[in-house]
Amino acid sequence: MSDFALSTSPGQQRQLEAFYYREARLLDNRQYRQWLALLSEDILYRLPSRVNVQVDNRQRGDEDMISVERELEGADSMGCPIREETYIHLVLRVERAFKINSWSENPPARTRRLVGNVELMTHGGDEYSVLSNFHLYYARPGGASFLYSGQRRDVLLAAGEGYKIRRREVILDYGDIALPTLGLLF
Amino acid sequence: MAYPITELVNEDATLVSRRCWTDPGVYALEKRGIFGRAWLFLGHESQLRQPGDFVQAYMCETPIILSRGQDRRLYACIDSCSHRGLPVCRADHGNTKRFICPYHNWSYSVEGELVAIPQENAVRNKPDKSRLGLKRVPRLETWRGLVFGSFDPDIMPLEEYLGDMRFYLDAFLGRFPDGIEFIGAPHRWLLDANWKLPVENQLGDVNHGAFLHSAIIPREAQDRIEELGHSVVTAPGHGATFRLMPPDAAVDEVAWGMEGMGGMLGGAPVQEYLREVQARAAERVGPLRARMKGLTYGVYPNLSFLWSNASFKVSHPRGPGRVEYWSWAVVPADAPDEIKRVLRTNYSSFFGPGGILEQEDSEVWVQQFRGCNIDFADDRPCFYGLGLGEEKPHPELPGLVSVTANEFYARHFFARWRDDLLAVEGRP
Ligand code: FES
Ligand SMILES: [Fe+2]
Repeated sequence: MSDFALSTSPGQQRQLEAFYYREARLLDNRQYRQWLALLSEDILYRLPSRVNVQVDNRQRGDEDMISVERELEGADSMGCPIREETYIHLVLRVERAFKINSWSENPPARTRRLVGNVELMTHGGDEYSVLSNFHLYYARPGGASFLYSGQRRDVLLAAGEGYKIRRREVILDYGDIALPTLGLLF
Repeated sequence: MAYPITELVNEDATLVSRRCWTDPGVYALEKRGIFGRAWLFLGHESQLRQPGDFVQAYMCETPIILSRGQDRRLYACIDSCSHRGLPVCRADHGNTKRFICPYHNWSYSVEGELVAIPQENAVRNKPDKSRLGLKRVPRLETWRGLVFGSFDPDIMPLEEYLGDMRFYLDAFLGRFPDGIEFIGAPHRWLLDANWKLPVENQLGDVNHGAFLHSAIIPREAQDRIEELGHSVVTAPGHGATFRLMPPDAAVDEVAWGMEGMGGMLGGAPVQEYLREVQARAAERVGPLRARMKGLTYGVYPNLSFLWSNASFKVSHPRGPGRVEYWSWAVVPADAPDEIKRVLRTNYSSFFGPGGILEQEDSEVWVQQFRGCNIDFADDRPCFYGLGLGEEKPHPELPGLVSVTANEFYARHFFARWRDDLLAVEGRP
């Protein structure tokens, strides 16, 4: 992928951002079933694990030495991602939210997310590769609240007036996982 | 500490004080009485294939470097520079010739020997480097690829310590033609809970399934688990729970891995692989253990193994009210890479820090700590009496055996825990 986003028309950029704003609103409003409707049923939803790798001396001075990619144990690696999910997993997560005994979210978490830095990176056929960043504030009773920060690497599929999410990889910026759960819908 | 230990856990361990999880004085005794004297799990040999390979580990709060030396032997050292105490290793894992301390660049070999002191040339009296290596963990032993260390130089051999747990562990480890391997770095997450809470859960608390997890586990599935379920204590603090499937059960019902997401969604090649393993299980582990379909295991004090979702876990204390919980996915060592990648999902997504299921457990551990960190209730200890005395020897299974609702696994754990603390109480 090139370092530069495609130059999009203002209309196209607005359409992408509007899609993500609505998605954020649905999730914060806990309208998870409406959120499911934004997914393509062949979705792959992944959350790589992030590890502290050894700095390779031979790469001194190179960008690769400190690249983010080296820290990720993603789906194609022989490591162990934290989440590797299909539509079925996501349906389970959504349906769970509407059961009275989903105790880790009883009472439900209060979340608010800001999505920004939306960049269309590549476009081919009806697929769009889009990057976006988010900050997600998360609060539950007990005094503690948490900030989740990350990047989403999406492949969106053109669908009618909007898009469906076909791939999502969530790169979370944790040092240690000092967060109650990474099981949220990011 | 304001509480005599015998008042924390009563004689038959049916009553356990909330202070066991919350008291700083109790925690200080645990460090000496348990973590200073037990075999503690460090890692698996599959993480250390080449000379120079290393992984980080912990023994309680003490950071450890576990490595494969240039002589291909395993080494375990405390990660703390002999000069001013800094940790010398910052990577979770890797391969190296040297660990170089950031502060003054003393450098250590992968075996922990002090190799160079850059400032040495500027002084007349040269320190004796042979005495300034990283401190070795006094005992290091492996069994079936599982690596353990102990701070107690006089501890019994590891195999003896594991005892009959080997029979149950081997039902899994010995099932695969080349054993298992750990895939990827551990997922490690911090929770506001005491270290014993995840341990107790994984030692034998099968019967919370239908309740805590009812948003995900259907009642009928849990009924089947309880109907076929056995709970075993091989020695106090060591336990295993598993289903013993009927001799005529279908292969797909018994085979490890078929009930996980990877097995269910992985398609024909994965399922064929799992059936093939099961078809030869009796040859490898005998007919009785071939019928075993495990649930949770625990090795005293803080190692857990979740057979159903193929994960090893260690509960590292970080004070009485904080735990760093590590979990690894394990896969059969002989499986092709594509199949390993599918089988790791039997663990991920359902367990670990993003787990659909385990998020409920971690919530409970945090809430249990909160519920126990209270005052004015010392006269009402927690009740551990379910099934008292109902466990019995079994004609074929080593250890004491009972139904999964019997809380004897926890009573035995706390009796051993109490005795370990009594052994060091009042001693320096
Ligand atoms: S503290 Fe390690 S070299 Fe000085
Ligand atoms: Fe559980």
